[in-house]
Amino acid sequence: MIETILNILEISIWAGIAAVGFGILFNIPKKAILTVFLLGFGAGFIKTFLLHFQINIVLASLVSASFVGLLSIPLAHSIHQPPVVFSIPAVIPMIPGFYAYETVLSIMSFTFLEKDDAKRLVFMDAIFSNGFTMLFILISLSIGVSLPLLLLRKDTVKKIEN
Amino acid sequence: MDTTNRLKQVADLLLEISSLLMVSGANTNRVDLNIDRFASVLNCESFSLISQKTIILTVVDIKTGENYTKVKNLPSHKIDFTILSLISKASWNAIDQDWSLSRIRNEIKSLKDQKRYPRIVVLIAVSFAGAGFCKIFGGDYLNLLVAFISTFFGLLMLQETHRRLFNVYINVFLASLTASTIASLGVYFNLGTQPEAALATSILFLVPGVALINSFSDLLDKNVLNGMVRFANGVMTVLAMALGLFIAMLIFELK
Repeated sequence: MIETILNILEISIWAGIAAVGFGILFNIPKKAILTVFLLGFGAGFIKTFLLHFQINIVLASLVSASFVGLLSIPLAHSIHQPPVVFSIPAVIPMIPGFYAYETVLSIMSFTFLEKDDAKRLVFMDAIFSNGFTMLFILISLSIGVSLPLLLLRKDTVKKIEN
Repeated sequence: MDTTNRLKQVADLLLEISSLLMVSGANTNRVDLNIDRFASVLNCESFSLISQKTIILTVVDIKTGENYTKVKNLPSHKIDFTILSLISKASWNAIDQDWSLSRIRNEIKSLKDQKRYPRIVVLIAVSFAGAGFCKIFGGDYLNLLVAFISTFFGLLMLQETHRRLFNVYINVFLASLTASTIASLGVYFNLGTQPEAALATSILFLVPGVALINSFSDLLDKNVLNGMVRFANGVMTVLAMALGLFIAMLIFELK
């Protein structure tokens, strides 16, 4: 049990590091680096934790991206940055790169390499299951990141009208 | 005549701000909001058609009803969240302190000189991110090292080709080819427990995450055209990455 928790923590720390790495690539302000690390860590922890209990990866991504989105509202006020500055880098480690990789490799094998019909059927299955998982994870991530905007749109507009 | 001249300057300024936001990786709604805030400070109303390469903007003087329309072509995109943050802050300050036209212009000019992180810092940070991805996909520490090295050289390749102003997809292809060739060596010599994880994650630094996330948040906002354009750009990048990976795998005869 303790070993599992330590393992999840280790993965989450690396998720935080990945978030900061991408944050620096996107040139986030220096003040936001710690926040990005903590958000990436938290999101990685929730996602790995849910995955450990056999929860579907799309749902796990939606929950952890929503965690990032919701937490970014109070954080935006406390460190005076717009929410996207730290919510986008924090969800980047959850980008379904592996599914994209599998989808593309299956497409390539299906089109160029495999001649046997039975095996091509397997690739067909891989293309659809990986491709749609990738698409749904992407949608989940952007819903999570957009939550502050979707929830607070009215408030912001009200401030402008005053 | 005086109002027309002022409106012209306002239009120039607002176009400058929206183009900065757009190339720095803001979604369409954010550009709209910021422009509206600045326009309200300057006693104008603004209406805009925002696309990835061109922005058309009309400003209307609230008092006289005079209007002025201008079109601006955008420079190439380079994601910079510091600029997003600074412009957003400036827009709120402008409303609070009722900034004048010249004050806003000076602020925008000064924030364009913002420094980016030094190149070596970016290289190392992104390489650590590549290693982090490898850990998430279940690699051990030897795989992490392979992912680190291949990301490092892949990004180095991307920066070098970017300077020579090739087509952006060719840059991505070359970077992907470099990174996956190095990671394929790991698979070829069977380093670590999960060499495939290192290969799959070596090219993930190229994933157009901002484009794809912005694409879907634009679609959620019903900015369908911009959403589709961003999605198409993202897909093109992914295809260029996949081509590089595919060629590396052909070279090493991996399946």
